[in-house]
Amino acid sequence: MDQFRRIQTGKKGDIHMVLFKDKKILDDVMLDEIKTEITQLLGKASGPDVLLDFSNVEFMSSAMLGLLGQLHRKISSGQGRLKMCSIRPEIFQVFKLTNLDKLFSIHKDAPAALATFT
Amino acid sequence: MEAGTPPATGVDVLIAEDSRMQARILQKRLSDAGHTVRWAENGQAALELARERRPDIIISDIEMPVATGYDFCKAVKTDPALRSVPFILLSTLSDPIDIIRGLDAGADNYVTKPYEPDYLLGRMQALLATPLGGDDDASAAMLEVTLAGQKFRVKAGRQQVLNLLVSTFENAVAKNQELVVANQELSVARDSLQKSNEELTVLNAEISRYNAQMVRDLEAAAKVQRSLLPPDDVSLPALGVAWRYVPCHSLAGDFLNIFSLDPERVGLFVVDVSGHGVPSSLMAVTVGRFLTPKISDSSILVRQGLDGQVVVATPAEVATHLNQLFQADEFSGLYFTMLYGVLHLPTGRLDYVSGGHPALVRVPATGGPPEFHGAEGFPIAFVPEIEYEQKSLQLAPGDRIYLYSDGVPEAMDKDQEPYGDEQMAACIEGGRNIPLDASVARLLTAVETWCQPAGPLDDVSILGVEWKP
Repeated sequence: MDQFRRIQTGKKGDIHMVLFKDKKILDDVMLDEIKTEITQLLGKASGPDVLLDFSNVEFMSSAMLGLLGQLHRKISSGQGRLKMCSIRPEIFQVFKLTNLDKLFSIHKDAPAALATFT
Repeated sequence: MEAGTPPATGVDVLIAEDSRMQARILQKRLSDAGHTVRWAENGQAALELARERRPDIIISDIEMPVATGYDFCKAVKTDPALRSVPFILLSTLSDPIDIIRGLDAGADNYVTKPYEPDYLLGRMQALLATPLGGDDDASAAMLEVTLAGQKFRVKAGRQQVLNLLVSTFENAVAKNQELVVANQELSVARDSLQKSNEELTVLNAEISRYNAQMVRDLEAAAKVQRSLLPPDDVSLPALGVAWRYVPCHSLAGDFLNIFSLDPERVGLFVVDVSGHGVPSSLMAVTVGRFLTPKISDSSILVRQGLDGQVVVATPAEVATHLNQLFQADEFSGLYFTMLYGVLHLPTGRLDYVSGGHPALVRVPATGGPPEFHGAEGFPIAFVPEIEYEQKSLQLAPGDRIYLYSDGVPEAMDKDQEPYGDEQMAACIEGGRNIPLDASVARLLTAVETWCQPAGPLDDVSILGVEWKP
């Protein structure tokens, strides 16, 4: 499925699975594109369940956390659940430094994350 | 050649051409002009047709199977019954040697391919109007020609040489005309290119102007940002203060400050707005307006109490308040981390709060190793309606504390390896016996060295404080 440039998408039941294609998520333009694509994907669906897969991501700017915060807020206000998985230690450090590892639901890999949705 | 020669009609033409298509086109043109046309697809067959009935003129291609145009031509020109028949060779004339070969074969005329049929017809008529007349063996002499470094001996009659010369020249003229036309087209293209270039130059000048304007705006914004920083000669009672602030672009998301809140208390902080550039720096300036020690409508650090006394807000109150202020209806995606502390000068007690900010480092005056002191708390503006946890740290006289932005421990070297907490602590410890300002400078240098050759990709802020009661 090559509908999007920055994300690869799939569905497992009602859960939207989003895989970031980029190794480095750094500049604002890229962040805007990611935001637009996820917004397009989720559309007006109220309270979707979403799993973000960070397998490919090796570097990430702190501004990406802001985008995750927006998503988190939007999804939880609609009774949906946002989960993340496959975050490598260097990236996890960014979450940890800002304490956001305690805000987000972060899991080892996709199967582990999917298991927690039920 | 006389002017006004009437076009010859009813000429018996023999064509030798291996391309059926080209032969057909030529045949049609000649028939339309009222001539009789015979066609053979190689030199051998053409020679047989010529011997069967003597044609008035022969037009022959060169590259053909069985017998080439040269072979055919030679055979015609050495046949006493056919030698006076004008012979036109169709050649690409891509090689000067072709002329020698044509001369040697006895050809009377060249027409270069690709040709216009009308041009060929004109050539044919000119040739028919100039009968070959008395060229015979007597006037045909052995000529020696040097061409492209090679010597050729060819036998050719005067009339033949003359005709060939004229046809070569005419070909050259025709090619030259094509070149002139091509040249004109080029010149038109060049003019339009020049025009585009001029337009580009104008556009470039415009961009430069906008750019200059933007640089001026950015400089003005950077100036506003610098007003958020402590004065260079910051001096507070009972404290040593040193700081460094290196934005990675002209506008930064970082800022820091230290100031008196009341006679006994000093406020200090490092703020790091996510992202870089204009949006982040605008947010930094906005945040800065609230973090001011001057009693005003905007300050959330101090306010006037009912009894006229200055009321200093606790760090937890400040963080919680800021978090409320920056929760817009729609989260912009911008947030900031902050470590804010209030130091009580008489006792050395530091109350502090952290909104997702890296822990501060204390270097004990007693000589113990550096300690990290952090507090839990999400970045400001990230999660609505949360209370921030406040912590206290008791300083001993001579203790130093270092606040910094994540641009220090997260500074990446060329292999994307972060500078890290350990190296940072070691660097700070290594500076414990030198003056505070030198120790802060030492840390900045270490970070900048770590990031060589690219330099830091994030803003770097360091604030060092020593309690000297």
